[in-house]
Amino acid sequence: MRKLVYLRLLWLLGGCCFSGLAVGQILPIAAPTDAPFDKDCGITLSGSVTDHEDRSPLIGATVLLEGTQRTSVTDANGHYHFHDLCPGNYKLVVSYLGYTTEKLDKSLRAPEVVNFRLHPDVLLLHSVEIRGAKQKEQITQASSKLSGKELAQTQGQSLAQALERMTGLSSIQTGPSIAKPVIHGLHSNRVLVMNNGVRHEAQQWGSEHAPEIDPFVASELTVIKGAAGVRYGADAIGGVILVEPRPLRDSAGTSAVLNLVGVSHNRQGVVSGMVESNPATLPSLSWRLQGTLKKAGNSKTPDYYLANTGYQEQNFSAAVGWTKEKFGVEAFFSRFDTKLGVFSGSHVGNLTDIRNAIKRERPEPEADFTYAIAPPYQNVTHDLLKLRTFYRTENLGRVSLMYSRQFNQREEYDTHGGGTTPGLRFEIETHNSELVWEHKPVGNWSGSLGATYMYQFNRFEGRFFVPFYQSHTGGLFWIEHWEKGNWHVEGGLRYDYRHLQAKLFRKDTPQKTGNAALDNELLTPTHTFQNLSGTLGATYHVNPHLDLSLNAASAWRSPTTSELYSNGIHHGTGTYEYGNADLNVERAYNFMATLTYRQNQRLNGEVSVYRNYIQNYIYQQPDTVPTLTIRGAFLTARQNQANATFTGVDATVTYQLTEHLLAAGKASLVRAFNRSADEYLIWIPTDRYEASLRYSVEAFATQQRFKENYLQLSGQAVSKQRNVPDNYLARDYALPPAGYFLLNLEAGTTLQFGKQSIEIGLIGRNLLDTAYRDYLNRFRYYADEIGRSITLRVSIPLNF
Amino acid sequence: MKLFLKPSLAILLAATVFMSTSCSDDEDPTPENEEELITTVRLHFMPQGGGSMIMATYKDLDGDGGQAPTIIGATLAANKVYNLEVELLDESKSPAANITAEVEEEGDEHQLFFVPSAGLNLTVVATDKDSKNLPIGITSSVTTTTGPSPAGSTLRVVLKHQPGTKNGSINTGDTDVEVSFPITIQ
Repeated sequence: MRKLVYLRLLWLLGGCCFSGLAVGQILPIAAPTDAPFDKDCGITLSGSVTDHEDRSPLIGATVLLEGTQRTSVTDANGHYHFHDLCPGNYKLVVSYLGYTTEKLDKSLRAPEVVNFRLHPDVLLLHSVEIRGAKQKEQITQASSKLSGKELAQTQGQSLAQALERMTGLSSIQTGPSIAKPVIHGLHSNRVLVMNNGVRHEAQQWGSEHAPEIDPFVASELTVIKGAAGVRYGADAIGGVILVEPRPLRDSAGTSAVLNLVGVSHNRQGVVSGMVESNPATLPSLSWRLQGTLKKAGNSKTPDYYLANTGYQEQNFSAAVGWTKEKFGVEAFFSRFDTKLGVFSGSHVGNLTDIRNAIKRERPEPEADFTYAIAPPYQNVTHDLLKLRTFYRTENLGRVSLMYSRQFNQREEYDTHGGGTTPGLRFEIETHNSELVWEHKPVGNWSGSLGATYMYQFNRFEGRFFVPFYQSHTGGLFWIEHWEKGNWHVEGGLRYDYRHLQAKLFRKDTPQKTGNAALDNELLTPTHTFQNLSGTLGATYHVNPHLDLSLNAASAWRSPTTSELYSNGIHHGTGTYEYGNADLNVERAYNFMATLTYRQNQRLNGEVSVYRNYIQNYIYQQPDTVPTLTIRGAFLTARQNQANATFTGVDATVTYQLTEHLLAAGKASLVRAFNRSADEYLIWIPTDRYEASLRYSVEAFATQQRFKENYLQLSGQAVSKQRNVPDNYLARDYALPPAGYFLLNLEAGTTLQFGKQSIEIGLIGRNLLDTAYRDYLNRFRYYADEIGRSITLRVSIPLNF
Repeated sequence: MKLFLKPSLAILLAATVFMSTSCSDDEDPTPENEEELITTVRLHFMPQGGGSMIMATYKDLDGDGGQAPTIIGATLAANKVYNLEVELLDESKSPAANITAEVEEEGDEHQLFFVPSAGLNLTVVATDKDSKNLPIGITSSVTTTTGPSPAGSTLRVVLKHQPGTKNGSINTGDTDVEVSFPITIQ
């Protein structure tokens, strides 16, 4: 009866996507552990394995049916399950390192749920460490992860392009070399990027600035979709992207990995290496060195090269840690250094120039392949220093303290000036500190309290666009989790205070007079913003396969100095942008429901539905009167506020057709509406669908040297954006481009030479060499997207 | 809080607070004016065969945005030839900087175009050439035919920056100057 109810619920929420559910549960597939059983009677035995004291899930615990070959290892939620059992008497043996093994005699007649609570083994209390780290990850909001092989397949792409693999994510691009992640239609200052636990602070306000992070540093990319301001700080009203390096080695030894990537369309070459060690003589000490060199030339569309779109990167990072049972300290430093060409065809001036460029069939000037980068180009460096320490006691829990300094420098070289002096140089310096106390679990409660402080300073040289400013931001938060039975509930509250002082001359404001004596007066307007963020969510484990999560969150964002005080022509977009010093804070109310079905032998999937209501959403309102300058007329945009809604669905489903064949589908849809003006918002991602078929073989019978072989064919369809305001051309230079379909192919294998393995992957993108333009690319007015591209990547792990 | 008596932690906490605050860099911007800015365009019409010079001016001293530019047009006589000289100035600096010489120097990357509005019976032919024998347009000759011109007639003056793409077309490169002068032919 219970099962029927859940099925109906699934039908209601998941629609036809999940109609295969009943089949999936009954049909067995030939997994190795099932092999000895020749009869299956369709009975499922499942349950969870948790810690007896704090009920946290034990991940990777082994459940054995004694007398049979069958075992089940608990998943990320501590769940185990056996399918297709027949009625009879079984003996269950549950074991986990650091806990006493439990045995239970069970007479099975019908599907049943048996939960275990293991007692910690006093002699092996070390394992407590792992639990603390895992608990934090449980969130009731929709989130996606990219790690391991899946992450490796994105090598050679930018961070934003790698993230596009997740449903609900897209990227806003400025030509082929600059991409910025978009979550559920929101980006830039509304999406926080946490780089190794530190808020990435750079020129987020500009959609034409990519996050200055080397994707090779990350071993895991996580995206939390929807307002997540409580833990990570105000501003995260669109979501959070966590870029996490893997933890430093905790077992003695030295290992290294060398990654090589080659990409055809821009003849990109990448070399990235990492070496890490934990000396046997000094087990508390661990260190890691990592570095990446990247060089790419002009990108090629199906019909032509894009002039001056090459780029270069030289990145490195170093980490060292000293970890004892109760105390640990870690230092991390990374430098990201890039030189990026800005597509020559986009370097246009006034409205007439832009219209000329749009009319051209091919961008101008014509270009051949070259690695050379000419003006206009950008030099960007980002340094991050992070110090972190923790202290843990049995009675208190764990206290950690973090300090970080970031220094972001951007130099923009124009065609005028000959590439010797930058037309504009920006420097942003950010200091962050954070104190977090994760209290010892009390009953079913676990949680953390924290305080954060951030100081930021911005300065520039050259033409004015965003003023000097300094800001102080302080925050206090408290998050609690409650878990009992099948329920997981979380709630959190945060208070933030921001003090902002801008410094600019009158000549940099719209009130300038043209009289030098008056215009050189220094103005120092200040703003203070303070507000609360909150989150409340619950996950109900309907059964070991099915989770239902509901989350309501609210976050706020203070207007940035660029939104308050920008004044000038934005050369990337050819628009005269006026700030608005009267802007107030933006507030988001985000509701999300997520249904997750997983750990099934055949069918797995997730559907999430969201609605993000943003009060006082800040956006650029086009002015009907262009700004007249000596260089002609420019489109004019002023910052405005309105109430907006972002509503959407993300769905992903995988179905194991046969032992070797996996079918997968993804869809993300978002509708963004300006409630105040009663019209759609512009520059919102279009509907995206993806379907793939993956053939994988662990090892061939004939060719034992090739392991983990796979071949995947996928198609990606992106529709035309039709949800736009009526008089579209009053707000943008050109109508949204047509939809497109891309065909991609991936293949990979692991070559085994004795003990040495080499992983090889081949990825073909846009195999049909389709000429297309993407709505979210700022250069879609001038040029096509890149054509067919083949990426070869080789990963050589070395163990010493 | 016994915990914070731990010397190692206390030192780190102190260091953090110290670093966060001591790096406080309360710097003021300094007024700079190094940018290349064109504030003023002047057209000097010299009647061939004598007569007084006629001048049209476009002036926007505070640059883009802010105060609107001031524009003074010119009245020309019908059936006459004028020698036209364009002058580009940056009057936001004192003394004013002359940009015309710079454009002339980079003549093979720049060209001035003159576009009369419909009904304005006037033709402009450049009399100067760059190293590749393409016109620059700093000096030119203007021939007027019949008058009077319709009300609201203008002469649009466009200075294009066309590094590598200069081919005599107005539709390529980016625009350094684009201003319209009211012109009357009597």
